[in-house]
Amino acid sequence: MLKLLLYFQHMDRRWIFLGMGLSILLPLLFPVNFSFRVDERVQALYDSVEALQPGDTVLVSADFDPASRPELEPFFRANLDHLFRKDVKVVVLTLWDYAPPLVVPILDEIADRHHKVYGTDYVFLGFKPGKELAIKAIGENIPKTFPTDSRGTPTTELPIMQGFKQAKDFPLLISISAGFPGTREYVLQIQGQYDLKIASSCTAVSAPDYIPFYKAGQLVGLAGGMPGSAQYEKLVYPNGPPEGQRLLATQAINVLNLGHLYIIGLIVLGNIGFFLSRRVGEEAA
Amino acid sequence: MDPVALTGFDVVGAWVSIMLTLMILSFLYADNPVYKLAEHLFLGISIGIGVIETYHGVFKPNLIDKLAAGNWLSLVPLALCLMLFMKVTSSLSPTVYRKVGWLARIPIAFIVAAYAGVKLTGEANANLMTQVAQTMPDLSTLWAQHGLWDWSADGAGVISGVLLVIGLAACLLHFYFSAPHGKAMTIVSRFGVLVLMLSFGASFGYTVMGRISLAIGRAQELLGLDRPPAQVVQIHPRIASVVGTVLIIAFLVAWRARGGGQEDAAA
Repeated sequence: MLKLLLYFQHMDRRWIFLGMGLSILLPLLFPVNFSFRVDERVQALYDSVEALQPGDTVLVSADFDPASRPELEPFFRANLDHLFRKDVKVVVLTLWDYAPPLVVPILDEIADRHHKVYGTDYVFLGFKPGKELAIKAIGENIPKTFPTDSRGTPTTELPIMQGFKQAKDFPLLISISAGFPGTREYVLQIQGQYDLKIASSCTAVSAPDYIPFYKAGQLVGLAGGMPGSAQYEKLVYPNGPPEGQRLLATQAINVLNLGHLYIIGLIVLGNIGFFLSRRVGEEAA
Repeated sequence: MDPVALTGFDVVGAWVSIMLTLMILSFLYADNPVYKLAEHLFLGISIGIGVIETYHGVFKPNLIDKLAAGNWLSLVPLALCLMLFMKVTSSLSPTVYRKVGWLARIPIAFIVAAYAGVKLTGEANANLMTQVAQTMPDLSTLWAQHGLWDWSADGAGVISGVLLVIGLAACLLHFYFSAPHGKAMTIVSRFGVLVLMLSFGASFGYTVMGRISLAIGRAQELLGLDRPPAQVVQIHPRIASVVGTVLIIAFLVAWRARGGGQEDAAA
């Protein structure tokens, strides 16, 4: 046993990668179900969407890329389903240049499922560079910031945009944020200035930075990382996934639990091995 | 047309995506030519998408369209843009850089000034004032809402409020260097370090979770669990994954047999 523990100090790291791979692949192939509860922050996010009335229009800033897709796409899908199910209109834009090829197919797919009409029930305004400066401009004047939508139609001619000029005209802004620019910049640049209601779905890496914003009331709800997306899916689909669809984050959350157990196990074994090797070294000396 | 019917391009695209994922993952074994190929493809395509999006999102609407509409004022940002490029003359010719390099400072000054202005107001208002206010919890309200400790609200309550204030003060005092740290100050400082360590640990935990989430996302694609079942039966992602894995392992074996990766093994 001692030899085995000491072996952890010098083992080929590729065994660790193999173990990590198996701890992810096996539970995906042979699913296990751990129960999980919904966090207060995710519940608040869900409630803020539930509070919207049919006919309301929300602004969604979909700022993610392929790297953050596993964490944020499940939320984006569930959120669009939730909004369309409530007959809420959706104006989507992005500040990330890699986002449009990811956002458009999902938006069109879910809008089609709910028989929504482009330009009237939903629209994609496209990508805007400029980071914080773009966010400032969104706060001041959206048609000026996005003169046309992603299909080239003048924004002022879109039925969905009638009466919506600034970010504060929307009852809710949902920021799906993979990093910079994202939720943090929306909070810093325009939330306080216009007293906006902002809800956020962010990557796990960003979550510790955004929790203080939620605690301070600068965010009305927060779904952090894959667990946040899974909890939101649980609220939006209490009876399981819609027919022919999958709940990606719910599927992944059990795998995530096992992955964490594997890492914790390695940390414990590594530390035991470290202290034992030090003791063995001292005894040898 | 059946909405779930995929075109040949969709199926080929899905297979290419799976193959590229496996090629990138082969780096976990060793740095190898298959990984390098995928890496270079990724870089090239990323830069290509960035250039196209920047052209359509920045240059076309803000410069080309405006100039075509006779808005000659747009030549000013164009001139600033060209002046910024004078910075690269340093790598071309020191003589030329001495003559024209200073021109780049003008647009850089614009950028720095604009960002300083934009950042300052946001940071001061939303990050400093609001957050400082939140570090002074109203204990009577906390007591009324949660009591001493509320398990159902992630431990909110008077104890958490007091811990927040003490922890913050201890962290700030840890970084107070204008007076020597005596015995009392050392105890407070160590408590501050403990709080900082807890905070770093939480951040690290979230980071690990994020990275595992990404790995799960890739695994879902390799196993065909990220698509509706109706698409999976057309793509057969698991067959693609097995074929890709076999091909890459065969390549790695042949590559090793020809002496590839010896430096890596020596390291």
